[in-house]
Amino acid sequence: MSLTDVRVVRTEEPKHAPPNRAKFWLYRFDTKTVPYLLIAPFFVLFAIFGLFPIIFNGVVALRHWRLDDPTLTGWAGMENFTKLASDTDFWDALVNTFGIFILSTVPQLLIALMLANLLNRKLRGATFWRIGVLLPYVTPVAASTLVFAVFFSRDYGLANWMLSLVGFGEEQPLDWRADTWSSWIAIATMVNWKWIGYNALLYLSAMQAIPKDVYEAAAVDGAGPWRQLWRITVPMIQPVVLFTVILSTIGGLQLFNEPMLFDENPALANGGYDHQWRTIAQLIYKVGWRDLNLGYAAAMSWALFLIILIVAAINALATRRLGGGK
Amino acid sequence: MERFGRRAARVGAAGLVAALAIAGCSGQALEGNDSSTEGGQITLKVNFWGDMGLDALKAKYEADHPNIKIALNSGEYNAQHEDLQKKLVAGSGAPDISAVDEGFIVQFRGQADQFVNLNDKGASSYESKYLDWKWKASQSADGKQIGLGTDVGGLAMCYRTDLFKAAGLPTDRESVSKLWPDWNAFIETGKTYTAKTGKKFVDSATNLFNPVLSQQPVGFYDQQETLQMEGGPKAGFDVAMKALDAGISANLASFQPNWDQGFKKDQFAVLACPAWMLGHIQDTAPDQKGKWDIAAIPGGGGNWGGSWWTIPKQGKNVDEAYKFVEWLIQPEQQIEVFKTVGNLPSQPALYKDPNVLNFKKEFFTDAPTGQIFASTAENLKPQYLGKKNGPTRVAVENVINRVGQGKLKSADAWAEAVKEAEKASKS
Repeated sequence: MSLTDVRVVRTEEPKHAPPNRAKFWLYRFDTKTVPYLLIAPFFVLFAIFGLFPIIFNGVVALRHWRLDDPTLTGWAGMENFTKLASDTDFWDALVNTFGIFILSTVPQLLIALMLANLLNRKLRGATFWRIGVLLPYVTPVAASTLVFAVFFSRDYGLANWMLSLVGFGEEQPLDWRADTWSSWIAIATMVNWKWIGYNALLYLSAMQAIPKDVYEAAAVDGAGPWRQLWRITVPMIQPVVLFTVILSTIGGLQLFNEPMLFDENPALANGGYDHQWRTIAQLIYKVGWRDLNLGYAAAMSWALFLIILIVAAINALATRRLGGGK
Repeated sequence: MERFGRRAARVGAAGLVAALAIAGCSGQALEGNDSSTEGGQITLKVNFWGDMGLDALKAKYEADHPNIKIALNSGEYNAQHEDLQKKLVAGSGAPDISAVDEGFIVQFRGQADQFVNLNDKGASSYESKYLDWKWKASQSADGKQIGLGTDVGGLAMCYRTDLFKAAGLPTDRESVSKLWPDWNAFIETGKTYTAKTGKKFVDSATNLFNPVLSQQPVGFYDQQETLQMEGGPKAGFDVAMKALDAGISANLASFQPNWDQGFKKDQFAVLACPAWMLGHIQDTAPDQKGKWDIAAIPGGGGNWGGSWWTIPKQGKNVDEAYKFVEWLIQPEQQIEVFKTVGNLPSQPALYKDPNVLNFKKEFFTDAPTGQIFASTAENLKPQYLGKKNGPTRVAVENVINRVGQGKLKSADAWAEAVKEAEKASKS
């Protein structure tokens, strides 16, 4: 039943007097049309700035468009997509993207859940802590990433200094950017740092809606805090968990700023000298603006769009199962 | 009807908010890129990277032309060029004047119709004043001139006299030049330095690769745009590998924060110096005044870098922009730039000008930069830079850096470099 249906019923309430014709049309306009007018601005803006670029991108993906060779233009058909299938750069970038995605999403959501569980207790200065966890989210990603880039630097980085305190890498400091695993961890750390607090607050708000007597009953039945978290809290906030999973899937697969600015020379979009942490979004940037092959970059964008749809769907299904839902 | 009025007002308000949101967005997008004309006042936006010695000149020009304001915008080298490319595609937002470097001029020359043909504005009268190759490099196939040359590279080797002294090496520029008649001798000197001090000798292996490559007659591509890895690139690559194997490279990525820190923390003692590098050194490490000097580079002349001033067609004030560029390339201003930041002019007549020839740079222990760079520039035989020169160079530099990180053995590196270069040439 939609919002407008409810209103229509209400207009028919005063049955004793015949409806004034002008007033009747006004009511109809008010109940049938005005809601659409009110929500229209978003959809108009979405059509202009959201839908049109996606469709136009699809058109570009089917064309040749090279900035360094204006003569090479016109329809390419599926050529860009077949090239994509055999392009090792693309598949390497896909592996990197998924690697960093898993390293960042899984700990991020788990830690956020624990944190929310802690914040949900009676704390002194609760508001202070709750606002505190949101601070990383407020920090502009470019600013925080630049700090992390220095933090993980080879020669005078804080991360290596801390490792040296426990006697690691004193002779040869760890070159965070050189190895695949270390660069992935560094980037995942940046992502986790930024989003844990944000997700924790989402979980917290959902947790506060859970009636307290459920926990009391569980405690009477002898369920410890750990069991309560997994058996009561998680299933009861499942819609929010689903929401965060989808949100971080989209964010994780589009990862761009962190790997880009982690590079020693960001403008090259290298993602490491062996491209060991180059994500798909970075590769798209490189193909479009460094190789000046906009048609091919558009094809990659569309491929990324499809991959995100598939992964988000799988994640949504899996999360629903996990929460014991229908 | 009172009720209708309220509804209408509500609908109207919603629409207004939406309209404001759109207007707000577009207003913001246009801001910052505008070259507005307010009450006869014209602002010329100039994009470049590093330090091109414009600060003092800007004040001078503004004083002589009260209706002109000049907004200088210095950014990162790659980012500035990519930004220009995006604005050309978008059709708006480009600066009034944009510097374009040697590494990107081929790309923009191919889009000559996006730029003002400076010959239409009367630039052709300057043709005879320029180095022939410099003039032609910014010309499209059908003869449109998209840029007026600012500086050329020329090559020398900058070194730290205080660090050389500490390592027991000679410090005056004559004897230092004699230390390295060729690149092998240069690497041997590096070994001596590293053995005595425990510190690295050069900033990075890629900053050996590039100057050696630029000394070769043919670079990555020949005039037919075919990749020629076995010639110039191989020569440069070998020197880079020798330096890495000898352990004399600090492996700092050029023009990045760590590199700039390396200057301040004495992480290296020599640096290949095209003329434009002098400005960067004195801006990065101002308190090292008098600690630097300039010697000859092993292997002689060669050109690394050099730029042009271009005027994108989409600007609103192309005539005023041209007047400013024309003023900038006059001998007086070129000499001024040479004196402040060290950029060597691309008009050979200036190499004989006493102001250039007799100039000594205080920051570099009074090195006669005019004589040093003018002599290399006149004998320059510039390389042809292919369309894919940029990506190919990045691909090969990546391989060199992987060896530096210990991720690749130097013996296997060349095969990898060829493979990556071929990939880049097809990108």
